[in-house]
Amino acid sequence: MMVLILGGSGSGKSSYAEKVVLSLSDSSASPDMKRYYLATMLVSDDEGKQRVLLHRKLRSGKGFITIEQPIQIHKALEKMESGKKIALLECISNLVANEMFSQDKIKPEMAVITDVIKGICMLKKEITHLVLVSNNIFEDGTIYDKTTTEYIHAMGKINQRLAAMADKVVEVVAGIPVTIK
Amino acid sequence: MKLVIGGYAQGKLDYVLSKYHLNKNIVWDSVLPDCTLVKETIIINHLHLWIKNCMLEGRCPEEEILLFLDSCQDCIIISDEVGNGIVPINAFEREYRERVGKILIQVAERAEEVERVICKIGQKIK
Repeated sequence: MMVLILGGSGSGKSSYAEKVVLSLSDSSASPDMKRYYLATMLVSDDEGKQRVLLHRKLRSGKGFITIEQPIQIHKALEKMESGKKIALLECISNLVANEMFSQDKIKPEMAVITDVIKGICMLKKEITHLVLVSNNIFEDGTIYDKTTTEYIHAMGKINQRLAAMADKVVEVVAGIPVTIK
Repeated sequence: MKLVIGGYAQGKLDYVLSKYHLNKNIVWDSVLPDCTLVKETIIINHLHLWIKNCMLEGRCPEEEILLFLDSCQDCIIISDEVGNGIVPINAFEREYRERVGKILIQVAERAEEVERVICKIGQKIK
């Protein structure tokens, strides 16, 4: 099962995604299923550190094993044990930004799309249930510089492909899940 | 209490006024009135701007909105959705978007109905 969860800043998409993971890996139904959290944020400042702490606090006690994987998401597989597993990837928008901007040269839009989709396909093949959190960054009506526009385009295309691959797509609005697919 | 959200310029206030046959004189624009003084239905428009003003004045919108909801019997709250864009470079703007989002989650939890308006058409999501 693959679930794509979308939402804006402060929409409640993270806590909803955690609920989805917990219900898909209910310990009475699947006691041997490992829960992984694939963290994609590159932390560079205090605000970032605070966010990580907040999210860790939200997840604590829920049995997640955290894997930090800001780029080349398929490499997270090397850090997982064999057997049944569920993974919560948070979030696609950070992964895409890191793939595009975190190396010496800015990676072109098409290459970013191909790499991210390939990585997610590899995860999907190996992981029993994959829950992806992505971001709605498309509705502020601002025209940005060329680089940011490329990023927005890449995000749009990646969201579309992921939505096509997913069994279920949900947008979280003011904490309320709205099923799109 | 009902919550109505949506993007900028989607006709949210007009939608509410015509749906519930209400008059503009019950609209409070980016202000929360003292509900002990107001008994009839009221509309709070531009809740997101009220939140921004609270932040600029160093007040705590999270606490104030809960006190308001406790005291208010019958109101319709209208807010823009502001979190659906590129994360701003400006730290205040980032915090503002996060706080609007989190406050809307709190309000939506307590609302008996939540509608999302696009092109002046409401979709009931709760």
